Amino acid sequence: MITKEKLKDYAHKLMFDMNDEEYDTLLKEFDVMLKQMDLIGNIKDISCVEPMTFPFELDSVELRNDEESRNIEIEEVLSNAGSKKGREVRVPKVVE
Amino acid sequence: MSYIKGTIEEIRKAMDEKKVTSEELVNESLKLAHTYEKEYNAFVTICDDAKEENNVKDNPLKGIPCAIKDNISTKGVLTTASSNILKNYIPFYDATVVTKLKEAGAISIGKTTLDELAMGGTGTAAHTGIVKNPWDKNRLIGGSSAGSAAAVSLGIVPFALGSDTGDSIRKPAAYGGIVGYKPTYGLISRYGLFPFACSLDHIGCFTRSVKDVAYVLDCLKGKDEKDMTSLDTKTNFINELTNDVKGKKVFYIKEMLDRNNYKDDYDEELEEILNNFDEAMKKCKELGMEVEEVSFDIKLLEAIFPTYFTISCAEATSNNSNLTGIIFGPRGEGKTVEEIMFDARTKGFSELIKRRFVLGSYILQKENQEKLFLNAGRIRRLIVNKMNELFKKYDAMILPAQGAVAPTFRSEDIDKLSNRYLLLENHMAIGNFGGFPSITIPCGFVNKMPIGLSITGAVKKDIDVLNIAYAIEEKYPYKGQIAKEVK
Repeated sequence: MITKEKLKDYAHKLMFDMNDEEYDTLLKEFDVMLKQMDLIGNIKDISCVEPMTFPFELDSVELRNDEESRNIEIEEVLSNAGSKKGREVRVPKVVE
Repeated sequence: MSYIKGTIEEIRKAMDEKKVTSEELVNESLKLAHTYEKEYNAFVTICDDAKEENNVKDNPLKGIPCAIKDNISTKGVLTTASSNILKNYIPFYDATVVTKLKEAGAISIGKTTLDELAMGGTGTAAHTGIVKNPWDKNRLIGGSSAGSAAAVSLGIVPFALGSDTGDSIRKPAAYGGIVGYKPTYGLISRYGLFPFACSLDHIGCFTRSVKDVAYVLDCLKGKDEKDMTSLDTKTNFINELTNDVKGKKVFYIKEMLDRNNYKDDYDEELEEILNNFDEAMKKCKELGMEVEEVSFDIKLLEAIFPTYFTISCAEATSNNSNLTGIIFGPRGEGKTVEEIMFDARTKGFSELIKRRFVLGSYILQKENQEKLFLNAGRIRRLIVNKMNELFKKYDAMILPAQGAVAPTFRSEDIDKLSNRYLLLENHMAIGNFGGFPSITIPCGFVNKMPIGLSITGAVKKDIDVLNIAYAIEEKYPYKGQIAKEVK
């Protein structure tokens, strides 16, 4: 049974929140989505099938030598950071 | 005479004959982009300073304007993925496809609107507003590559890049009366594409002719050391393009076309779509192709959409975990790093995206993994195995691209549990499950709205798919059509 509290828990695990109205909409939407998910359960006796995680076997994967081929300038990495100091991204103290 | 509204092939010819310059084309393209922007919202960013790179060798795309979906990295140009959480993000590198376009001398005149983070099929979920269908402003163009589809359909550019995880290029192409193509998985590098669901994501293109797809593919194809999933190919698509498809064997799925499967929501529109498909099959036979009906387990067909939704939402939750507002994106407020991230994500994602993420989170809960996530992976394999078996005998699968014309913005009445929705409207994810090359081409009009034909082939047989599409295209009068100009 899906409840608003459970949905809140799922959202918080992914580090965001929604407002009450949004949770209500989602609860209704879940009803349809779970019915769609039931269609997955309609297909029986598949436990021996290996789940597919990639479209096909790659035949051209090669291990590369452990050589530096490119690097990124720190200034470029920092260019989009909301807060920075010198060569570092600034965040609140992690260890008090 | 306006040359920008031609196909790549026509524009190339005009440029080679010195009838038009690249600068004139870019100016015309930019002017159209601005003219239509308020009405259709195809672009997040219009690049008014667009110009050709220096020292470009002669090649078919040299000097030709194009547009790029805004989830593809462009160095120094705002790239938002149509999300508030990236609304100020300016990449410091180009995606490989962007590098290749620049090297070819193609000129990007703008970044196109999408459903936020490419997660949606309507073109209504961008942080800058909804994208409208150029054939009817009361209807959506579809998504997620909504702006790219609208820009090509409006005649602003002859081609645009998109990304396709379930049908995000092919469906809006069908709704917009243009050509939409996604290649074999990996044939076009994805380095620099913001990932949605890595095992399903592809980059592809919108054009107004099948031949133009070959021009774009020849530019973008091939192995990229920055994308370990990319593939090499020896095929020169333009040189190998032929309309001689005599003897090619194609199939359609019986259960998809069986009118008895749509008893609950059968209407005139569906009848016309199915009749149009019957006509298309006649045309295939006239071209000398063998057309056969093949039966497919309907339970597997009904499970395509939930399987796609399960896999994509689950993969999306982890792919988007880097959107924290710490290293890039607007900073959240809070006393700790966790609070800052929580606040940035709460403010940065729209409600629609959050709903998909919550579903992904639900699917990945320990108690649901076996039942949903792993079983979806198993069904994916069963469907792909069946397709691979069929592709041993057939060169392509042909189906209607849709079960309905582009919906109006007010359409709330689509029954998401109906066969019409689950089978006809959402089958194209098969192409993503197996990484199969797949194209949609315009094949007619129903209720004055364009509809499309979907053609899908075996992995690495992109040329077969293009040739069949190229031959069928010649049987219709829709090549090169622009929404605004068809009476």
